Amino acid sequence: MEKLSFDSVKLGDTLPEITRSVDQEAIWLNAAASLDYNPVHTDPEWCARTSHLGRGSTVAHGMMTMSFMATVLSNWAYPVGGKVKSMESKFINPVPPGYVLTCGGRVIEKHFIGADRNYVTIELYANSHEGLRCAVCRAEVILP
Amino acid sequence: MAVKLDRFLKTEKQKAFGYDFFLDAESYEVWDEVKIGAEYWSEQTFEVTREDMLAYAQGVMDPNPLFNDEEHARQSMYGELVPHPLFCVVIAFWCISTKGRGSWIRSPGAINPGQRIEVYDHFRIGDVIRVKQTAWDRWTRRDWHYLTYKLDYYDQNDVLKAIWYCTLILPESRAKLMEYVKTGREG
Repeated sequence: MEKLSFDSVKLGDTLPEITRSVDQEAIWLNAAASLDYNPVHTDPEWCARTSHLGRGSTVAHGMMTMSFMATVLSNWAYPVGGKVKSMESKFINPVPPGYVLTCGGRVIEKHFIGADRNYVTIELYANSHEGLRCAVCRAEVILP
Repeated sequence: MAVKLDRFLKTEKQKAFGYDFFLDAESYEVWDEVKIGAEYWSEQTFEVTREDMLAYAQGVMDPNPLFNDEEHARQSMYGELVPHPLFCVVIAFWCISTKGRGSWIRSPGAINPGQRIEVYDHFRIGDVIRVKQTAWDRWTRRDWHYLTYKLDYYDQNDVLKAIWYCTLILPESRAKLMEYVKTGREG
């Protein structure tokens, strides 16, 4: 297989998917890692009392879902010295404990700027085990 | 009363950082008090340590050895431990105080609609990061109240490392925020 590079990458190329199981333990661990202890993520009783988002349960951090999509990028590009230049995400559906997310992406643009600055645009997604689209993201990745 | 989370606290910063977001909620900045265009430097700096980078990678379930194995990273083309691309998130929560400017990021009742992050250079062990906050935009849509702050991350040499356009849908007033807080404190 040809080594990944800006020259070798083609529009429509797909990035290998990853799968992550989200439970309350994982959400608490993410809260500690990010220092984001918002009760909508960490406090099941508060969520039940407020029925926040109409759910009555906690939801995973949006940044946790975004981090999974970032992992798709870094798994793909970092081994060859690529760099994540930017990420712009949109969170479409909440991710409660019990969801299994599958994240992947596809190359949609190539930008010919110059050596060490050439970059590709990736369209990313995070889908639940039930096929629900939970998040999308547009990312720019510099490739050597 | 917040859920007890002590068993998850491993790093020095995690142990020093309060996890009860109801505690200082009276002092949080709220949507209808924000002055767009105003700039503020965060009160705290974030000195990047090995354990911070490792804890973040583990917290986002990323086993990439570049993020988790210092020896592997040292022998890679990077030559050093690499931070996960969203490492700037923990820096923001650390640097933004529990009171005053930017503290809306902690608001109970907030909803995350989506985020934009730009990365200019990796954070490195030993970096001392300061965050400049700019009140960027405030708008309403379908009865929801959105707020964006632009967070500029500078290292000890004034090199811009990253920008986070941090956006949340917030309780629109202090009274609304305190409704959420009261429910939490009564638990």
